[in-house]
Amino acid sequence: MAGEPRPSRRDFLRGRLGRAGAEPHPRPEAPAAPSSGSHGAAAPGALGGALPASPSPDRQVGPRRQVTLPVHRPPGAVHEAAFLAGCTRCNDCITVCPVDAIVLAPARFRHAAGTPMIDPYTSPCRMCTDIPCIAACKPGVLRSDQPLKMGVAYIERAACLAYAGSFCTVCSEQCPVPGAIELLSARPHIRPDICTGCGVCAYVCPAPSNAIVVMPLADRAGAPSNAGPELT
Amino acid sequence: MNAVIDRREFLKQTALATATAAAAGGAFSLPVLGGQEGASLKWNKAPCRFCGTGCHVMVGTENGRVVAIQGDQKADVNKGLLCVKGYHVGLALYGRDRLTTPMLRKDGRLVPISWDEAINTIAIRIAASPKTFALYGSGQWTVGEGFAGNKFMKAGLGSNQIDGNPRLCMSSAVTGFLSTFGVDEPPGVYDDLDACDVAIMWGNNMAEMHPVLFSRLVDRRSRGEKVTIIDFTTRRTRTSDLADHLLLFKPHGDLAIANGVAHLLIRNNSFDRAFVEKHCNFRQLGAKPDEKTPPDMLGVPMTFEEYARAVEPYTPEKVEELSGVPADKIRMLGEMFGRRDLKINSLWCMGMNQHTRGTAINCLVHGIHLLSGHFGKPGDAATSLTGQPSACGTVREVGTLCHLLPGGRLVANAEHRKEAEELWNVPEGRIAAKPGYHTIEMFKRFNTPTDQGGDITTLWVQVTNPSQTLPNLQRNFLEKKSLGDKFLIVSDVYPTATTELADLILPSAMWVEKNGMYGNSERRTQHWFKLVEPPGEARDDCWQLIAVSHKLLEMGVDGMKGRDGKWIFHTAEKSGREVPIWNWAHYYDVNVDERLFEEYRPFTTKKHKNLAPYQEYVKARGLRWPVVQQPDGSWRETRWRFSEFDDPFVAKGREFQFYHSVSKDDKALIWFRPHEFPPEMPDKDYPFWLCTGRVLEHWHSGSMTRRIPQLHRAVPRAYVEMNREDADRLGIRNSEVVTVKSRRGQIDLPVWIGGRGDPKSGEVFVPFFDETRLINLVTLDEYDPYSRQPDYKKCAVTIVRKG
Ligand code: SF4
Repeated sequence: MAGEPRPSRRDFLRGRLGRAGAEPHPRPEAPAAPSSGSHGAAAPGALGGALPASPSPDRQVGPRRQVTLPVHRPPGAVHEAAFLAGCTRCNDCITVCPVDAIVLAPARFRHAAGTPMIDPYTSPCRMCTDIPCIAACKPGVLRSDQPLKMGVAYIERAACLAYAGSFCTVCSEQCPVPGAIELLSARPHIRPDICTGCGVCAYVCPAPSNAIVVMPLADRAGAPSNAGPELT
Repeated sequence: MNAVIDRREFLKQTALATATAAAAGGAFSLPVLGGQEGASLKWNKAPCRFCGTGCHVMVGTENGRVVAIQGDQKADVNKGLLCVKGYHVGLALYGRDRLTTPMLRKDGRLVPISWDEAINTIAIRIAASPKTFALYGSGQWTVGEGFAGNKFMKAGLGSNQIDGNPRLCMSSAVTGFLSTFGVDEPPGVYDDLDACDVAIMWGNNMAEMHPVLFSRLVDRRSRGEKVTIIDFTTRRTRTSDLADHLLLFKPHGDLAIANGVAHLLIRNNSFDRAFVEKHCNFRQLGAKPDEKTPPDMLGVPMTFEEYARAVEPYTPEKVEELSGVPADKIRMLGEMFGRRDLKINSLWCMGMNQHTRGTAINCLVHGIHLLSGHFGKPGDAATSLTGQPSACGTVREVGTLCHLLPGGRLVANAEHRKEAEELWNVPEGRIAAKPGYHTIEMFKRFNTPTDQGGDITTLWVQVTNPSQTLPNLQRNFLEKKSLGDKFLIVSDVYPTATTELADLILPSAMWVEKNGMYGNSERRTQHWFKLVEPPGEARDDCWQLIAVSHKLLEMGVDGMKGRDGKWIFHTAEKSGREVPIWNWAHYYDVNVDERLFEEYRPFTTKKHKNLAPYQEYVKARGLRWPVVQQPDGSWRETRWRFSEFDDPFVAKGREFQFYHSVSKDDKALIWFRPHEFPPEMPDKDYPFWLCTGRVLEHWHSGSMTRRIPQLHRAVPRAYVEMNREDADRLGIRNSEVVTVKSRRGQIDLPVWIGGRGDPKSGEVFVPFFDETRLINLVTLDEYDPYSRQPDYKKCAVTIVRKG
């Protein structure tokens, strides 16, 4: 799908995934109790940001940062320390998001609790073209000059239907970022350099055990808009 | 778990999975989820509820609920693998809006009523006018349900007004087999997929419609085997992605292509002369059917020379002109068929069956296999695939169509009627000699005011959703809303487009909430036991039929008694004491499904479709008929019919024997059928071809799969696939909502360009699963004159931008 104009592709996704517009009738209902193949407890990485952070040489996280829980921030977020310092918890980004993708971080995020975040498994960011959340952010912790990258998705091949020999192409079809998920021999491959971590793939993955792991960016590049306190 | 460890762990698992895949020959299943293996979790086998592939699943139950699903490693069909629908099949039971109580429309509103009142209401309607009552069933009926429905109608009410939805999906395959071999259902099996060198998809998107079978085929490549996949299609699909040759053809071009292959086989003298001389005759159509001449499937004999002359005009160049497939590709195909060292497996589904010349194209494809001798050896077969799990097992074999009796017998044949009356033990003359109305006719008559010839007044629909799936819905069904004297009874598990029209809704038990048997595309009869209770007051469809029959017996309605004066569904214990199976509380005192199956078995031997005793199916993951008892008492299934090496009914030394031959000389028929243009073609006002179909994630009208959150999220709504060039020309953007309009109706749909499927320029595709966007308001109800199967794949539409 490379070469697809971004706007129309995103519109399409919003049309298919968004809450606005005609709802299917009757609405498909979630099962009353967990059943086979449901997401639920078995889904890996239910919330990337909730993973206990232990030092990881690969990510070159400095020793002073080891208590940081990576939080899946909305697009265009500044450096986490600056974000925490600058975010006024005004909820404007939450109000303006047309698909209710932004929620308040729950208490287990401790110092980050009450700040805006995205839970891709419940409601992913749809990568709006006009990015209303950034436009609405008065304190400037979501900034249009920042990369839109929120994280990165991985395919857990052992759980992916396509890799198990059963055909599935849903993630690549619904991905709003052209080129981020390619089909090679009918199997999806995520390009981490292009993937923005919006989480749409995780949301739509129909595998019995969700095959997508979305990791929030632990270290967002980009300078703080104004110097925030060092995180300890 | 740390992210990195997590990532490493899954890389490790991937390596493991790959190793397992290689070791198990590509057959493995995903981990069991949702349930914990423990003392209280029990596993039982069942065929998947959805498609005609007929995979087996292991169903994990705990505390009276289905909690886990796993691919069944012991099943030959799928060897542990399932498609995305199959992995979620357990959730089909647990949508929140399951129907749990009978409901009757009173003053326009549906109000809950008791089962007694419901059964009574139906019985009164039928008793008042038995000849204007019709039963519309399904390829999702279990064998027992279909058999009970057929007996109730034909041997009880003496009425042939029973048809089923396989009329809409399989009947051209039936007429193709009947015309060619004199008996229905494929000679080959799925094993041909493992043995063929070339697999040809005739308008068949197998990767989405029979995904596990397609896996079985392409998996061979990962084992280093070479299998050439040829994808004949009118639009690029997921199947095309894995095909060696993508051959895009014009709608109806398949008729020309098949004739082109025959032409080349003869011109190159590469047809199998010995096979043809020994085992085949040639046929062509007789007089053209019109008002006075009903369509005649027997045709008239022709000589080989006449046949050769008939296919003479179909040169590769002519075929290119008619089909759009380049002449050199037609030559390539002709050469392949001309080679004896290749094994060729032709496969098709709705592309060839939902076709106003469906019988013709089915015959032609059988014809080129016979002409070239690519028949009856592992890998050499022409096999139609069914869409529904028991279109074969129930509707085709049990004969729940208006012109059939069980075991391949015909209503119109006096001898067949007599045999059926004997086996059913009902008085001679009970079965009416005149076939009832086929599906489209049945619905048209229900949809027409009674005083204007609408002589079906009460219609009972079980296990299907015609208000979404009939073509040209307004004309064929939706008028019913304004016809006060018509009465629609619907047995279903969820509210559907059809229950919206219903006057009486009956809540049904589904799948493992009841005992059942299905028969898949490869003649495999499968069995399962009831594993959980249905919700609320939902009850088996079969019980509903039996209860109505008993109520009619109580009312003294003619026909509910057999020759012995007993009720037609009389069921007794060994001691002779009657079991009141009409009373739900006692329905499971005996295994009614087993009783019905054993009553049905003697019907099956006439056409050599022999079935084993019920208990054999309890042990097996399905058995392919004919199943014949061996000297040691065991039961042996048959894979290749009509081939001496495998079919026990072929006389020794014959090599091949078509023992139900139309020409009565043990030979199969190679038909000549000309290329013809479809009844409606794009023109200036309606410039696009419309093709409709399914998607991988949803099964048919979506009433089950749209209630499974994972499947619904994956494909939440219908769309119209358009070619990019066409969209650019009309200034249409991706996702823009447009109106798809035909001479019959219109709907609005978002456009998907460069999506899962990619139609050729001048064509659009719309899936039919979405109840909120009924594409069948737009489709055409023209049908094949022999099979009476409508063509959902071709009609003319226009695409109108909004605003
Ligand atoms: S291929 Fe058909 S039978 Fe097999 S799991 Fe999928 S829907 Fe079920």
